[in-house]
Amino acid sequence: MNRIPITLLVNGEPYSLAVPPNKTLLEVLRDDLELMGTREGCGVGACGACTVLIDGVPARSCLTLAVDVQGLSITTIEGLAEGDELHPVQEAFVERHAIQCGYCSSGMILTAKALLDKKKRPTKDEIKRAISGNICRCTGYAKIEDAIATAAKKLATPSK
Amino acid sequence: MITNVVGKRIQRIGIQQKVTGKTKFAADLDIPGALTLRVYRSPVAHGIVRKIDTKKAEAIEGVVRIFTAKDIPGKNLYGIINRDQTVLADSKVRFIGDPIALIAAENEKSAEQALKALEIEIEELPAVFDPLEALKPDAPRIHEKGNLLFTRKIKRGDVEKGFSASDIILEETYETNMLEHAYIEPESGIAYREKEGRITILVTTQNPHADQAQLAAILGIGPENVRVIQTETGGGFGGKLDMSVQPFLALAAYYLDRPVRMTYSREESFQATAKRHPLKIRMKTGATREGKLMAVNAEIIADTGAYGSYGIAVATRAAVHATGPYEVPNVAIESKAVYTNNNWSGAMRGFGVPQIAVAHESQMDKLADSLGLDPISIRMANAFKVGSVTPTGQTLRASVGIRETLKKIRPYYEKFSREIQETQHPLPQGVKLGVGVASMWYGIGNTGHPNPSSAQVEIDETGKITLLTGAADIGQGSDTVLLQIAAEVLGVGTEEILLVRADTGLTTDAGATSASRQTYISGRAVYEAATKAKEALLKKAAEIFNAPSSLIVCDGGYFYPQYREYQKIPFGEVAKRAVQADGVIRGEGTFNPETSSLDPETGQGIPYTTYAFATQVSLVRVDSVTGQVSVIRAASAHDVGKAVNPSNVEGQIFSGVAMGIGMGLFEQFFPNKTKSFDTYLIPTALDVPEVTPIIVEDPEPTGPFGAKGVGEPALIPTAPAILNAIHQATGRWVNRLPADLETIRGLVPPEEK
Repeated sequence: MNRIPITLLVNGEPYSLAVPPNKTLLEVLRDDLELMGTREGCGVGACGACTVLIDGVPARSCLTLAVDVQGLSITTIEGLAEGDELHPVQEAFVERHAIQCGYCSSGMILTAKALLDKKKRPTKDEIKRAISGNICRCTGYAKIEDAIATAAKKLATPSK
Repeated sequence: MITNVVGKRIQRIGIQQKVTGKTKFAADLDIPGALTLRVYRSPVAHGIVRKIDTKKAEAIEGVVRIFTAKDIPGKNLYGIINRDQTVLADSKVRFIGDPIALIAAENEKSAEQALKALEIEIEELPAVFDPLEALKPDAPRIHEKGNLLFTRKIKRGDVEKGFSASDIILEETYETNMLEHAYIEPESGIAYREKEGRITILVTTQNPHADQAQLAAILGIGPENVRVIQTETGGGFGGKLDMSVQPFLALAAYYLDRPVRMTYSREESFQATAKRHPLKIRMKTGATREGKLMAVNAEIIADTGAYGSYGIAVATRAAVHATGPYEVPNVAIESKAVYTNNNWSGAMRGFGVPQIAVAHESQMDKLADSLGLDPISIRMANAFKVGSVTPTGQTLRASVGIRETLKKIRPYYEKFSREIQETQHPLPQGVKLGVGVASMWYGIGNTGHPNPSSAQVEIDETGKITLLTGAADIGQGSDTVLLQIAAEVLGVGTEEILLVRADTGLTTDAGATSASRQTYISGRAVYEAATKAKEALLKKAAEIFNAPSSLIVCDGGYFYPQYREYQKIPFGEVAKRAVQADGVIRGEGTFNPETSSLDPETGQGIPYTTYAFATQVSLVRVDSVTGQVSVIRAASAHDVGKAVNPSNVEGQIFSGVAMGIGMGLFEQFFPNKTKSFDTYLIPTALDVPEVTPIIVEDPEPTGPFGAKGVGEPALIPTAPAILNAIHQATGRWVNRLPADLETIRGLVPPEEK
């Protein structure tokens, strides 16, 4: 199959590569860029484990073709912390015990970040709605919702 | 007892990696040059494989080898309890999805083409999908021994006398449905042959040592020639107790001088792995007019599908727990596991107890309703206490927290009931609110079988402490809990202990991560190992201080003689001197809780040393026009003995309520139809209400610091509490799961809507 040259902007870094037109963003992230933090749970866009942010908006990377997101800014879980310093959403997930097996966590954390970028103090219902496309079988969501509310407070308090 | 580490909300081990995406699951492992494996699966439910022609498929570019049953060097038969499952069909296929041929190829595309090019002829046989049909004498015979896999009987007292002495007798039938575990990580693993010839498999699993034993038998080699390393596991819930990709990986690695990898698609994960046993239950319950239970008689039929897997354990557990956590003097239970041509059923969070709890808890509410008692009072009137005798004739000696869970739930039951009364605004047409209660008991560990665990604690001359355990943490948090137990014993922090886990090359058998047993059983083994290592250090410290070792304190990373803390010597210093004198310190710990096998005719015996208990209350909203049921609030009280990590315990309770909502209201797996999360709905954040977790700690004397287990108990009372709430709201009983839209719409006649 023909390969199409593209440039992807992932976590602020440009990557030039040639990909078949039917290759998904998930495959490119994992196979070509070796960013394994984006997980495949179902391959059909039903579980949300593969969620990444495209120009700040949560998207299923398993349903997104790599050739369609050229020039757009893609954020994966690897792009969230700054060096050793966790993003406040990540910090809150640690502090509030919001992770069990961790397979859904990358997608869940990115979805939460996108919500908090848009909405400084989301209500409980807004949090539930935001993450309702990301399924988690382990936690029952309570501690995830708690972590997102905690992260909102952290982000509202200017650090240092 | 004052503890420094046990009982604390220690952060989960490995959470920093999980939160940054650095955790490596099996599918993330880098293994250059690995071949891809794919399985050809039976398109028919029952048949005989007449011909397998691999020539065309083998000719496809990139196809390396195609394996069939004749390539299996050892025994082509495996299974966790009764070995009845073939790796690749040798003659018969028994469900849609039964593996027939294995393809090893350079890439996905070649493997995919080979799948289509395989020429396989199957002579279709009549199939049977209903366990009652399968028991008929003229039913298609699925296994040579017949379709009845197992019967468990429990007999105590005289049920006929019990019913004669009853003022009220209720006889009802219940049905539960086939469910999928739906962990988010699909099955995945890699394998390779080491230079010395050993086959090494890195795989997502709940059961590394059992995998090793089964794989060695399949390959016809000694277990020392197979190494199973559990990779970080993205949920299991019982579904990763049976082998999935393991035999295929092992077989290919055995023959090929190349590493291999295999990951199930979600569709294959749905099709090719165990399900929850659907149960058909007839239950007859007799009680006095005061609500005292006099007799329970039940017949249980579990559909184990094409293979046994954990079917024997599920049929047994359903029987053992059939009365609920109540004193019943007269009991007669018969529970059967039956083969059909459905997907095979195996272990799923609770092993038949979530199903049987639907029956015994509905019966309790039906009795309460008929007798004009409130649901908590009728349960309290019958609940076990210390000294109670169970249906298997076991006297409960300690840690019987059921009454305390009922006491803790009563205020929530009253609060939720008040909330209904105080609902001011008129509800939309057809909408009603209801409160429901359900209790449960759950035996910790394997039923009536030995289930030992082992662990080691090593301390080297630098004072470095290593905990070695075969226990697989599948996301529930056993790594953290076991480290907490070791740290508490040794008087250090968890961060000072290196953990080596679930690698058959390095650790000894801790038994499966199942039956809510790791905290209790492996926790106690770790406790013993750490205690022995500490004793060696205490001996050395006693020498240093010239004091009896019974007067040496080990705490906060120091040793000192009692009342002379100012003389304290660091842990590492004592370790160094002890190791210099006697060599590396190695504390061996084992624990095997007391059980006895159940009598085949009467079921009398000691199935478990200890039991977990729980009570849950739910406030639900039932819309009989749309059929929708929503759980608005829930509170769940669990006697866990001791919460080693309260955050983990709460996490399990939240998780169990969520899974129970799915089980109660919408989850349903249809063989050969359900293939994705588009049709198999699991609860989202919007389906799960605010849950109040309540921890009751009635210590178990044989548990580490009193701990029992909570993983499965968390789920068990949820669905029956919802069904009982639906009855309170609508005045109608639902005896069949799930209480989905259609069921609820049909429940209330139009004139009442």
